[in-house]
Amino acid sequence: MKSLLLALTLPMLLPIMAPAATPTALDEVLSGLEKLAAEVETLASDFRQEKYLAVFRDMLPGEGRFYYRRPDRMRWELTQPIATGFVLAGDRGRRWKDKEDKSEAFEIGREPVMKIVAEQLLAWTRADFPRLRSQYEISLVKASPAELRLVPKKGMGDGFLDYLLIFFAPSGRHVRQVEVHEQGGDYTRITFFHTRINEALSDHLF
Amino acid sequence: MNLSELVSAAYYRLERRRALLFLAVIALLGSGLFGFRHLHLQENIAAMLPDGGEVAESFRLLRQAPFARKVLISLEGDQGRNADDLIRAADALKTRLDPALFPVFVGGSDSGPGPKLLPYLVTALPSLVTEKDLNALKERLDGAGVKKTLDESYRQLLGPEGIALKGIIRGDPLGLHRIALQKLRFLNLVPGARFNHGHLISPDGRSLLIAAETPVPITDSAGGERLLAAFDQARQGLPAGIRATLVSGHRYTVANAAAIRGDLWLILGCSSVGLALLFVLFLRSWRAVFVFLAPVSVVFVAAVAVGAVYGEVSAVTIGFGAVLLGIAVDFGLHVYFALRNGGGDAGLIVGEVSRPVVFGALTTVGAFAVLLCSQLPGQRQLAVFSIVGISLALLLALLVLPHLLRVGQGNNRARSLKKSSGMRLLVVVLWLAVVGLGGWQARRVTVNGDLGAMGLIPAELAADESRLRQTWGEVRGRAMIWSLGNAPEQALAVAGQGFERLGAEREPAGIVSLAPLLPALSRQEENRRRWAGFWSGADGARILADLDKEAAALGFAPAAFAPFRDTLSREAPAVTPDTLREAGLGAAVDALLTPLEDGRVGALTLIPETPEWLTAADRALAKIPRARLVAQGRFRAAMGRAIQHDFFRFLAGAGGFVVLLVALLFRHPGKVLAALVPVATGLLVMLGIMGYFGMALNLFNIIAAILVIGLGVDYGIFMVCRQSEGLNRATERAVLVSGLTTLAGFGALVLARHPALHSIGLTVLLGIGAAIPTALWVIPAFYGEQRR
Repeated sequence: MKSLLLALTLPMLLPIMAPAATPTALDEVLSGLEKLAAEVETLASDFRQEKYLAVFRDMLPGEGRFYYRRPDRMRWELTQPIATGFVLAGDRGRRWKDKEDKSEAFEIGREPVMKIVAEQLLAWTRADFPRLRSQYEISLVKASPAELRLVPKKGMGDGFLDYLLIFFAPSGRHVRQVEVHEQGGDYTRITFFHTRINEALSDHLF
Repeated sequence: MNLSELVSAAYYRLERRRALLFLAVIALLGSGLFGFRHLHLQENIAAMLPDGGEVAESFRLLRQAPFARKVLISLEGDQGRNADDLIRAADALKTRLDPALFPVFVGGSDSGPGPKLLPYLVTALPSLVTEKDLNALKERLDGAGVKKTLDESYRQLLGPEGIALKGIIRGDPLGLHRIALQKLRFLNLVPGARFNHGHLISPDGRSLLIAAETPVPITDSAGGERLLAAFDQARQGLPAGIRATLVSGHRYTVANAAAIRGDLWLILGCSSVGLALLFVLFLRSWRAVFVFLAPVSVVFVAAVAVGAVYGEVSAVTIGFGAVLLGIAVDFGLHVYFALRNGGGDAGLIVGEVSRPVVFGALTTVGAFAVLLCSQLPGQRQLAVFSIVGISLALLLALLVLPHLLRVGQGNNRARSLKKSSGMRLLVVVLWLAVVGLGGWQARRVTVNGDLGAMGLIPAELAADESRLRQTWGEVRGRAMIWSLGNAPEQALAVAGQGFERLGAEREPAGIVSLAPLLPALSRQEENRRRWAGFWSGADGARILADLDKEAAALGFAPAAFAPFRDTLSREAPAVTPDTLREAGLGAAVDALLTPLEDGRVGALTLIPETPEWLTAADRALAKIPRARLVAQGRFRAAMGRAIQHDFFRFLAGAGGFVVLLVALLFRHPGKVLAALVPVATGLLVMLGIMGYFGMALNLFNIIAAILVIGLGVDYGIFMVCRQSEGLNRATERAVLVSGLTTLAGFGALVLARHPALHSIGLTVLLGIGAAIPTALWVIPAFYGEQRR
């Protein structure tokens, strides 16, 4: 419970604790992150997920893998506690439960929720800050390693999203941790580890 | 005093008061012109459709189809362009379109199913769920079913999409919203298409459809030209690789107006050359101009008469009628040639020629009078127009024209028609052969009631329509079931009844209807009672117990689904058109529930226009008196039947009237038959050639056929008078010139690109073209030596 409280309050306190960043500092950080992200052709990472949701009695842990290949290929799969995942290629995708060989195809345009998910994941992986700045008020919590706090602008997140905390790796080339805070107090923390940049990725993954 | 003596006496009486006569004529024609300026002209095709009965109602309902009066703009992207590119291009195009011409777009960023829709539908579900739905639910949510559904919710909550779906899952852990989604499918006006940011995207994601409303009436050609020009200008700014096509009734109107304008120059040019030639060859006198002025001058008076009788006058009637009155020139020509031929006093000559002229005019009036019985208001107006116009032209020809012409020297005798008996036999044999062939081929003539076939459809427009169908399906061509009521509630009740019965006949997946999402309020009340009974009953209790058990097993908190429990215990709201609009379904509601022109309300159901669906709909709607099935194919067939029925009725009516008049004139079976030879030949040749070339009869052929009857019998009357009664006032020449002026005026229409004008021209060319030689050669061949 203590950790839950800390997780809930820390991101909110961070902007107060951190030295006030001027718009110039934020621009510089974002610009630096953009440059570094531009060098990323592929990305592969394991992740650990913690879901603190009121609908569940306890925190819901999870583990999985994430893959990205420029410009628009992405794979998100959960391996624990259940096997599920999806692959995106442009505006089409496929998803599976339990076994990947029994996947079903879908179109992003037909699924508004998946469209938001895909746009967000891609925007973060590519460090597409112009797009993100059109959707969120971004503030700099810490310059190095970079930590950002994002509050959705009006109409973004359809009222369920409160704010996001993004923690970049010291290299600045990828995201280390994401916290998605929802209105009502629920939140999800995703920590990326074993991240490999620009490794050759098999076509089978996508 | 007989007719000839009467006309002669009138001539002598008026001869002494010519100034007064001319003043009276000028006053009459002037008042006609004054009255015409105040006439209300109706500029649409409604006058050419039956104004009563099933066909008329079908046409009114067809015009109310969701896309019938809208401008459709389809954007297509080349390879490499995706839906987002199309959406950006569509939004930019909309801003460039003139808001005065395109004020409202149906569909757009603020329309289409929004985020409020699904939660709303879940809340409203108790009002919508039928007994069939509950049975299916009970089957789906058996013990394993509840676990499967909850497993799915658990999986979604673990995934990135869980954040967005959490609220929905808490309110609907059993996936009851699927029932609402199934009902929502029936609102898809464009099969397979999906909404993306409020835009309709084709199933392949390569096209986007914009539906726009415009204040420009579809029949307004000038407004249509402005509309198309504005669209052309706006689409210039589209990015490379994206094309936009506009399809609406305006393109047909503009294409037809342009074709008619082009045709008129060609036809007027040819007609003018033809008439000038006739003038030079046969008339050669400036006074002959009066002969041609007579029919022109009565047009306005005839139009005012139509206005006085019917209140409103169709512009089509005036336009067509004005051309039609050209036939009235024949009366003046006979008077002109008789006077120029001389051989006596003007009053005597006019008296002599008046008998065939009056009977000729009466037969033409009689032929047109049958149109008074037409179901089409435009044809009835045309009848009044022709009767008044021809009668006035006749009076001008007999009472006024002789005072403007000079009597000839009497040495301009007509050529004798003496022919050898061998030559006469040859003429009769040839005529019999032509008539036989014509009669044989005439049986092959078909009738085409398609109004579209009477207009010009440019190849480019046909190709665009075809591409629109390929991309978007039959958005403009599905059969419609109109459920009619004095209020929306009544219309919805009828629609619900029809939907249930049609669903029992065929798999309802092909139906577009509001009925599943907007049942009548009484039916919603019934649904809510059934819903409450289900959840408080054994089945509901079992499902809820399973839900608790499976939720606990997956680690859900005890209050995880409290919103769902609350929903079950609350009274569900009634679904109304307004609540559906608020939920983001305004465009569909407005398209499928609409006030009609007659004050009623119509709830619209769309079905595929295939024989199987139409038969099923017939069966389903058999005992629902307020439901109307309207299909374009059936409408065309009904119009075809109406035209066919009218054609034979008018032909019989006009024929009967003409025979009666001719019998009254000649009182001799031989003469009567001889007088009818040209008209019978003209009709058989016309129908025979049309049949041989596979041409179908349409609305305009019918009117033109009546013209052939009216004129053809005139030629017969004149020639029989000449042959049998020794009346030789340059009759042959008058008949020949009359026929040739008709061919120059009407026959020239055959050169038109526009199908309606072409149809009239063809009918007249064939009919009159056959009637003239028949009158000039066959009647004399029957009579042998000319009896003087």
